[in-house]
Amino acid sequence: MKLRKETIEIQEQLGAYCRTGIEQELPGITPGRIHHYRRLISNVVNDTLRTAFPITVAALGDETWLLLVEDFFSAGVPQTPQVWKLPLEFYQFHASRESGKRLNLPFLDDLLYFEWMEIEIHTMPDRPYPDFVNEGDLLKDTLAFNPEYEIVKLEYPVHTHPVREARELKGEYFSLLYRMPESGNVQFLNLSALNVYIITRLQEEKVPLNEIKNEIARVAGIESGRYLDDALTKFSGDLLERKMILGFKEK
Amino acid sequence: MESKAGMVGLGLRRDIAEEILDNKILTPDFLEFAPENWMGMGGAWLKVMERALEAYPITCHGLSLSLGSPEELDWEFIGELKEFLDTYKVAIYSEHLSYTKSKNAHLYDLLPIPFRQDAIDHVVDRIRRVQDRLERPLAIENVSYYTPVAAEMTEVEFVSEIVDRAGCNMLLDVNNVYVNAFNHNYDAKDFIGKLPLDKVAYIHMAGHEQVEPDLIIDTHGQPIIDPVYELFEWTIQKMDPVPVLLERDYNFEDLEQIQGELTQIKGILNKHWKLAHETA
Repeated sequence: MKLRKETIEIQEQLGAYCRTGIEQELPGITPGRIHHYRRLISNVVNDTLRTAFPITVAALGDETWLLLVEDFFSAGVPQTPQVWKLPLEFYQFHASRESGKRLNLPFLDDLLYFEWMEIEIHTMPDRPYPDFVNEGDLLKDTLAFNPEYEIVKLEYPVHTHPVREARELKGEYFSLLYRMPESGNVQFLNLSALNVYIITRLQEEKVPLNEIKNEIARVAGIESGRYLDDALTKFSGDLLERKMILGFKEK
Repeated sequence: MESKAGMVGLGLRRDIAEEILDNKILTPDFLEFAPENWMGMGGAWLKVMERALEAYPITCHGLSLSLGSPEELDWEFIGELKEFLDTYKVAIYSEHLSYTKSKNAHLYDLLPIPFRQDAIDHVVDRIRRVQDRLERPLAIENVSYYTPVAAEMTEVEFVSEIVDRAGCNMLLDVNNVYVNAFNHNYDAKDFIGKLPLDKVAYIHMAGHEQVEPDLIIDTHGQPIIDPVYELFEWTIQKMDPVPVLLERDYNFEDLEQIQGELTQIKGILNKHWKLAHETA
């Protein structure tokens, strides 16, 4: 290390002041100016997080929101050199500190996670698309799924209800987030646990729906007959229309 | 690789990406990317970036190397950066002579390095190591600062020795010189005259905002003021042609005004550098 211990300490003192606002004895500074650094850095962090979490900001109100930002800014140790990924670290920081529990905001983790996942799906590196054809049979042919998706599991239905209502509805909820092929826009779809099971199994087995129909019937506790065929056709047809299913794999 | 000398560019910001790519009002000669804002992205933003790369020559201007930090360089990030620069064949890559990381936490803005000999030794070593890894020279930018911290020499001594010893290029930010000269009460031309102008590979121009009677903040959100144009014109007569970038990070409401700035910069370049070429 070529830096003197004193220089390192001075640099760290300036960094600490910027993060915490606690004044430091910094030598050789122009009086009344150092606060601009804290202000400028706070603006970058706050603007980035505010833009990433508009629903959380609206749900919590400014006072609670700023408390969360201040806590993160002073006690967090942001690791990403890419500021647009900072919201992920903000979510992880508050999840690890159980801020939601502490502030009596039980839905907080879910809300931050869901809002981050929208960014994640929108910006994540492209995934290879499967070859597919447009014509096929929803039950008899293997479906070609849009690969750019994630299924999010939530304890509170923050994706479907205002938080005031969602906080009273603790349970098990699933949302499918995927990227539209042309525009790159992110779409959401509310899923049941059975829907999740079907999508997961189809992705694992890469077989037509007909081949796992009996298994689905067992899991759902229903008979494998006309009713199930209709339901599966409707479900997969809906996914096709929404471009979560792209088409059919060639035989 | 195409020379960008004498070209006038604009930073590719997401707010104006479509506008630039549709070529409606803004017509820069080249675009500058902040790699951190585009690395590892897919989807719609990757498409925007690819359109920009097809349509324009590019330069890259980094934000997070944190050359002045005490902690070790982030080699994983530098590896990803190299891949990005190699993939897109970026010849000019610049970074700030500052630090953005403290106690291993990123701060996402530029803190002033103490102007001291040990800091010079430290930064020189780091620039050399980064250049070796990236296999290309860095262009180091003189940053704006609002207070010195524990300085033991002047800013121009600090910057010049680093550029000289590190074997790097320099990104001369003319607006930053103006801002610092105002804020710290020195002569901007005298400062520029003492810099190693033969090492300048790139110039930045920008607007700023005066927030107190004796303090200007380098905001990149305002039009360039006349004294900065004058300093720019004075400076370019002392050096060989290089690319010049207009930095604008926000306030994009009046695109005609921003195009006017690009045109004004180009006019100044053509007045001096074109004549120099013709004479030669």
